[in-house]
Amino acid sequence: MDAALLEQMLLGALLALSVYLPLRCGQLSLATPGFYAVGGYVAALLSTGVPAFAGSGATSPLPALLAEMALGGALAGLIALAIGRPVLRLRGIYLAIATIALVEILRVLNLNLPFTGGAMGIFGIPQPFEHAGGYVLFTLALLAVASWLCQRLEALRLGRAMAAIRDDELAAASVGIDTPRTKLIAFVASAVLAGITGALAAHFFNSWNARAGSFDASITTLAFVVFGGSRFWLGPVLGGLALTALPELLRPVGDLRLILFGAVILLGPLFFPQGLVTAERLRGLAAVLGRSRGRGHQAPQTP
Amino acid sequence: MSVGRLLRVGTGLLTLTLLLAGCASDPGNQPLDVAGGVPVGAVLALTGNANVYGQDQKIGLELALQQRNGGGGINGKPLKLALEDSGSDEPGANAAFTLQINRGVLALIGPTLSQQAFSADPIAQRRGVPVVAPSNTATGIPEIGFFISRVSAQSSVIAPLAIEQALKIQPGLKRAAVFYAQDDAYSTAETTIFQKALKERGLDPVTVQRTQLNDQDFQNQISAALREKPDLIVLSLQAVDGGNLIRQLRELGYRGLIVAGNGMNTPNIYPICQKYCDGLLIAQAYSPELDTPANAAFLKAFQAAKGGAIPPQLTAQAYTALQVIGEALVRLDKRQPLAGATLAAARKQLMQEILAGTYATPLGEIRFTPEGEVIQSQFFVAQVRMDPGGRSGRFALLK
Repeated sequence: MDAALLEQMLLGALLALSVYLPLRCGQLSLATPGFYAVGGYVAALLSTGVPAFAGSGATSPLPALLAEMALGGALAGLIALAIGRPVLRLRGIYLAIATIALVEILRVLNLNLPFTGGAMGIFGIPQPFEHAGGYVLFTLALLAVASWLCQRLEALRLGRAMAAIRDDELAAASVGIDTPRTKLIAFVASAVLAGITGALAAHFFNSWNARAGSFDASITTLAFVVFGGSRFWLGPVLGGLALTALPELLRPVGDLRLILFGAVILLGPLFFPQGLVTAERLRGLAAVLGRSRGRGHQAPQTP
Repeated sequence: MSVGRLLRVGTGLLTLTLLLAGCASDPGNQPLDVAGGVPVGAVLALTGNANVYGQDQKIGLELALQQRNGGGGINGKPLKLALEDSGSDEPGANAAFTLQINRGVLALIGPTLSQQAFSADPIAQRRGVPVVAPSNTATGIPEIGFFISRVSAQSSVIAPLAIEQALKIQPGLKRAAVFYAQDDAYSTAETTIFQKALKERGLDPVTVQRTQLNDQDFQNQISAALREKPDLIVLSLQAVDGGNLIRQLRELGYRGLIVAGNGMNTPNIYPICQKYCDGLLIAQAYSPELDTPANAAFLKAFQAAKGGAIPPQLTAQAYTALQVIGEALVRLDKRQPLAGATLAAARKQLMQEILAGTYATPLGEIRFTPEGEVIQSQFFVAQVRMDPGGRSGRFALLK
C-alpha cells in the first residue's frame, strides 16, 4: 500500500470522527463536508495568497500549515457556533435536511464568491512535506490526538451528558443536563475537526474547489460511520479507513470494482446493523484475548 | 485484558502497520525494467460523470498501442500500457497517478479532466514523471511544470471559431444566450472565452444562465432564456447535461442556431439528444476528413475496430498522446539505450525528447513549446448531422 492512499484513508477517518461527534450526542448532522470545504479554502487562500504562508517556491513552512489548520478550524467552528443554536432545535431527519441545506449553501457560496476561484477553485497549493510519507505521519498524529480526545470523552462529564442525550433527550434534560449547550458543543467540535482536516487536505490534494463539500461527500462520510459503527470512536475510524481504501484495493478486479464497493456498503449494515465496532464485540474480543493470554501463562501447551 | 488495554494494543498495532506500509520505497533510483516491455501508464475517467470521455480515449490508446507494437514497438521491445481508472474526481486521479508512478512507468497519459489535472499533475511534476495530457483544455496546464505537456489545444484558441462560423451561416445574429454549468471547471473556463468572443463580435449575451453539472431538468433556465428571444444559443456544458439541455431546448420550441463547446465534442451525445442534436455547431481540434497519411492510418484502424464509425476528437487526441510518447521513446532509445538507465534519468530524458520532436499525427503536424503547450496548425468547425432515425449521426466538416 502506498503513502498517498494511506493519507486519504487517514483523512477519511478524521472526517468520520467529525460525523461521529454529533451522532454521539444523538444528532444526525451531515454538515461535515461543508466545514471541511471551509477549512480547505482557508488553507488554500492563505498559502497561495499570503507570502508569509506560501514559503519559498513549492514548499511551505510547517508552522504556516499549523496556523492554517488553527484558522480553518476556528472559522468552521465560528460558523457552526453562529448557526448551531437555531439548527440544533431540529431533530433527526429534519436536522439532517437542514445540514444538507447548509452544505449546499456553502457550496454555492464557494462557487460564486469573487475570491474562491469559481468552479476551477484554487490550485498550485504549496506543499509542507516533500513526500506523502510526511503527510501520513502528521495526519496519524492528528488522528491519534482526535481519537484520544474521543476516548477521554467516555470518562468525562461532557461525554456522559452526550451519551445521555443520545439515549433519551427528555430524560437527560430532566436530570439537569443543559441539552442545547451540550449539543452545540458536539456540533462545534465536529466543525472544528472538519475544518482542520480540510486545511490539511487542501495541501495534500494540491488544488481545492467546491466539490470537496458536496452532498455526495455528506453521504460518503455518513457511510463511514454507518459502516464502522456510531457507538464508539473506533467504529468511525475503522469505517473511514476501510471505505476510503476499498475502491483502491479493489483495482485488481477491474471494471467490477465499484459494483463490489457498492455491495460492501450494502451488505455491511445488513449483517452488522450497529456497524462493525460495538461495545459487545469489543468486550468479547477483549475476553477472548484475555483468556488465551491467561491460559498461556498458567499451563504451557503440550505438543 | 480490559477494553482500554485492548484499545491501546490495537491502536499501537494499527499505527505500526500504517507506518510500515507508508515506507514503500520510491522506484525512481532503481534501474529501468524493460524486460516485460517499456512501461507507460494512462489514467482516464472510465467511471463517474466524465466516463463518456474516458471510453472514447481508451479506444484511442488501444489503437495507438497496436499501431506502435505492430510497427516494431520501441526498437524491438514492446510498449506496455497500464490503464487505470481515475473516476471523475481529484482524489481518484491523485490515487491513480501515484499508483502508476510507483509502478515505475516512464510517462503518463491523462487525466481526463482539467480539474483533475490541477490536482494530479503536481504529483507527477514533483516525482519527475512526464505527463502528456490528451484532453485538458483549461488555461494553465503546461505551466504546472517542466514535466507537464498536452496535445489538446486550449479552448481559448478553438472556441471562438464556432461563433465565427455561426455568424457566417447567419450573419444577422443579434441576441445570444449563454449557458454554462457553474460548478464545473471546464464549463466556467470555456464560457468566459465564449462570452469574450461574443462581445468582440458585437454580440453581447442577452442572458447568461447557470446550471449545475448533475442537473437533469433545465426548464427554468430555458424558459428564462427563451423570454429574451435569443437567435443564438452558446453552451459550455459537458456531454450528459448538455445533451439533455439541447433536447429540452428544442422541445420547448427553440429553432435557432446552437453552438456547443468542447465538452459536447463526442458522438456519445447522439443517444442523449438524439434527433435534436441535429445542426449543433462545434469547433474541433480534429477532423476525420483531414487528408494526411497519419490520419488515414488512424481512420483505417479505428474503422476496422469499430465497424466503420467516425472517430471522435477525444479518441484522436488520446491516440496522438501515445503516438508522441512512442516516437519520443524510439528516438531516445536509439540515441541512448533505455535498458541501462535509471528510471529517474530515463524519465527526464524522455520529457526533453518529447518536447524536442515534431510529430505527424491524426491531428495534423504538431510540436510543443518549451513549456509543453501544443502547437497545432489546423482547427475545424463541424456541424452535427443526425440520421433520419435520430439514433446516430456524424460531425460534418464545414469549410
